[in-house]
Amino acid sequence: MSHDDDNGGEMEIEGLETVDYEERQKESGHKKRLNKVMTEKEAVATFLHDGDSFAIGGFFQWRQPMSIVREIIRQRKTHLSFIDESGFFGMELLVGSGVLDRLDLAYFPIRQVGGLTGLPSVDRCLKEGDPRPIDIGGVLKTPENKIRSDQLPLKIVDWTNFEVALRFMAGALNVPFMPCRSSLGTDIPKYNKEIKIMDDPYENKPLLLVPAYRPDVVFISVQRADRRGNGQVWGFRGTDYWKARAAKHVVLITEELVPIEKTYENPGMTVIPAYCTDAVVLLPYNCHPSGVYGWYIWDMLCDLRMLVACQTKEGFSQWLDEWIYGCEDHSAYCDKVGWENLDRLAKAEHVINRIPA
Amino acid sequence: MGHLYTTRENYTAEQLKEMKGKYLPTELICCTASREIEDGEIMFVGIGISDLAGAIAKLVYAPNSLMVAEAGYIGFAGISTMFSPADDWGATMAMCHQGLPETFIDQQAGLIDVAYLGFAQIDMFGNVNVSYITGPKIRMNGSGGGGDIASSAGRIVYTVEFNARSYVKKLDYMTEPGFFDGSPDARNKQNLVGGGPSCVVTNRGVFRFDVETHEMYLAEVFPWQDKADIEEVRKAFPWNLKVARELKIIAPPTERELWVMRLMDPLGLWTVARVLDTTLGKLVLSGKHDIEAYNALEEGREAAWRKALEIVT
Repeated sequence: MSHDDDNGGEMEIEGLETVDYEERQKESGHKKRLNKVMTEKEAVATFLHDGDSFAIGGFFQWRQPMSIVREIIRQRKTHLSFIDESGFFGMELLVGSGVLDRLDLAYFPIRQVGGLTGLPSVDRCLKEGDPRPIDIGGVLKTPENKIRSDQLPLKIVDWTNFEVALRFMAGALNVPFMPCRSSLGTDIPKYNKEIKIMDDPYENKPLLLVPAYRPDVVFISVQRADRRGNGQVWGFRGTDYWKARAAKHVVLITEELVPIEKTYENPGMTVIPAYCTDAVVLLPYNCHPSGVYGWYIWDMLCDLRMLVACQTKEGFSQWLDEWIYGCEDHSAYCDKVGWENLDRLAKAEHVINRIPA
Repeated sequence: MGHLYTTRENYTAEQLKEMKGKYLPTELICCTASREIEDGEIMFVGIGISDLAGAIAKLVYAPNSLMVAEAGYIGFAGISTMFSPADDWGATMAMCHQGLPETFIDQQAGLIDVAYLGFAQIDMFGNVNVSYITGPKIRMNGSGGGGDIASSAGRIVYTVEFNARSYVKKLDYMTEPGFFDGSPDARNKQNLVGGGPSCVVTNRGVFRFDVETHEMYLAEVFPWQDKADIEEVRKAFPWNLKVARELKIIAPPTERELWVMRLMDPLGLWTVARVLDTTLGKLVLSGKHDIEAYNALEEGREAAWRKALEIVT
C-alpha cells in the first residue's frame, strides 16, 4: 500500500477516518440523552480536550460562535487543530492566542484593507515567530533564527472553500474521500500533500480527491434549538448540515431554547436533528461580534475596534486580557459590550430580516 | 449586455482632462465591469467591488439576472454591498437560502454563468495568485471560493485596481486556474468544466484574452487614456502586451451607475481609501462606543436599506 510517491505514501492525514456502526455508537454516548442542556463552560470542558480537532459553524462573520472561541482561549486549551472554510476574527483570535498546532483553511482576510492590515496575527507569526512560528508546507516558513527551541510551528494547510466543505461531506458520508473538479492543475494540490489527483475509473479523466475530515467536536450556532438537540437554522446554512454529521461530537449554541412542540411547527428548518447532537447551550448573542440572521446584525464597530487594536502585538495581548481573560464568561462579556448596544444590533437586523415567531 | 462605448472625438481636450480626475478607481472598475452581464445571467458575486459591479448590473442592465453568494444566498434583492458572501443583507428578499457546498455543487454542474473575482498577481494567460508572495514573504487571503469559481464558472470577470506589480511573468503561487500555458486545450486536459477568464477590468483599461492564443491583451481604454498613458500601461507588463488593433473607448461611468454605487455603499467602505476616514472609522477613533455611537451608525444604514428596498422591489 505504501509507495514513496509525492502524495505522501503512509502520511497520517488529519481528521481522516471511517467508522463502523459499533465504533460510532461508542463515541456517541451523549447523543441519546433526552436533555442535553448545559453551560458553555461545561460544553467546552466536556467535549474539547487538549490535542483535539474542532470546527465551528457559520461562515466568515455570520453565525460563527465567537463566544465558544473566546471560551476555548479562556480555558487555555492547547495543541488544537482547527478547520474552517473562510475565517474571520475567530481565526485571528485562535492563531494570535497560540492555542492551535494546525490550521486548515481556504481564506483568511489578511491583506491590507483600507490602510490597516487585516487580521495581522498570521503575519506576526510568520515574520516574528510570535506567539508561534508558522510552517506552510513548502510555501512559506518563519525564518529559523526567529524560532525558539521550545516552539512548535503552527502548520497551515491550504484548500478551497468547496474542498473544505467536501471534506466534511466525506466525513458525514463515512467514506474516505470526495472527488471534485476544483483546483486541477494549480498549486493548491502541488503544496497540499493530502490532496490526491487520480483518473476516475469510469471516464479516465483527472479528478481532485480530498480526504474526509471528522473533527472531534463541532460547535454550531443555531437560531433555535430544543433540549433534545434539534437545531433549527434560518438564512444561509453554510456547511453546518455536513459538519454536524461529520463530527464525533456536536455542541449547539442557541439564541433561543424552545419546547420540543415548537420544533414540530417547522420541522423543515431542523438542519441538525437530535441524533447528531451531544449538547445544547442557551446563550443569547453568542455570535457577537458576528451576526445571526433574524436575530442581530454583525457588529462592525466592535470588529473595527478589534482590528485597530490588533495592529500591534501589545494591542492584541491587551485585547485578549480585556475581552477574554478579563471576562469570566459570555454574560460578563455582554455586560462589557453593553446590552443596550447588543439590542441595538438586534433592532437593525429586524429592519431587514425576521424569523417566524 | 450593457457595453457602452464612445469615441475620443466626442470630447474636447478640456473635457477629457476634467474627466480624468473625476472618477475614483473603484467607480471606473465597478461601472465598467457591470456592463459585462447579459440579462438573465446567473452571477456569482463576491465581496466589495465585485459585488458592487453585480449590483449595478442587476439594477441598471440585467434586471432578470440572479446574484448568488457562496454561503448560500440566491436571487437576493441586493440592498447593500457585501462584506462577505454570508451577509444578512444578502438574505433579504432572496429566492433561496441554502448551503455552501450546495452552491458550489450547482456551479460544478454548470449552473453559474459568470463570476466576479479579484487577484493579487496574474500572468499572461490569466492564471491567478491570491495566496502567497514569496519575496517579501507575505501570506495573502488564500483561495476562499475563488479556486472553485475559476475552475467551474462559465466565465470570470476580474475586477481589480491597476497595479504594475500585479502583472507577472511567473506567479509566486497559482491559486486559480486561467488558461495555464495558453495551449488550446489546456483547461480540457485538466478536466476543468468552466470557461476560464473572460476579462480583467481595471481603472486603466479592460484586458481580454485572445480567442486562439489565450494571451491577455489591452482591448478597451477610457477616453482620457492617450498614447502616452497606454504606453505607460504597456510598460507595467513584463511581457510585450499586445493592444487591440481597434481599441474600444469605454464610456465613462453614467450617473445611474454611480447612483447605484452610492445607494449600495452608504458607509463609503469601497470608495474611501482609508477605512478610518469612513463614518465607521471616525466612530472607532472617537473612542465612543455607547448607544449613541451605535445609533449613529445603524440609523444611517437602516435608512439606506429602507431606501434600497423601496427601489429594488
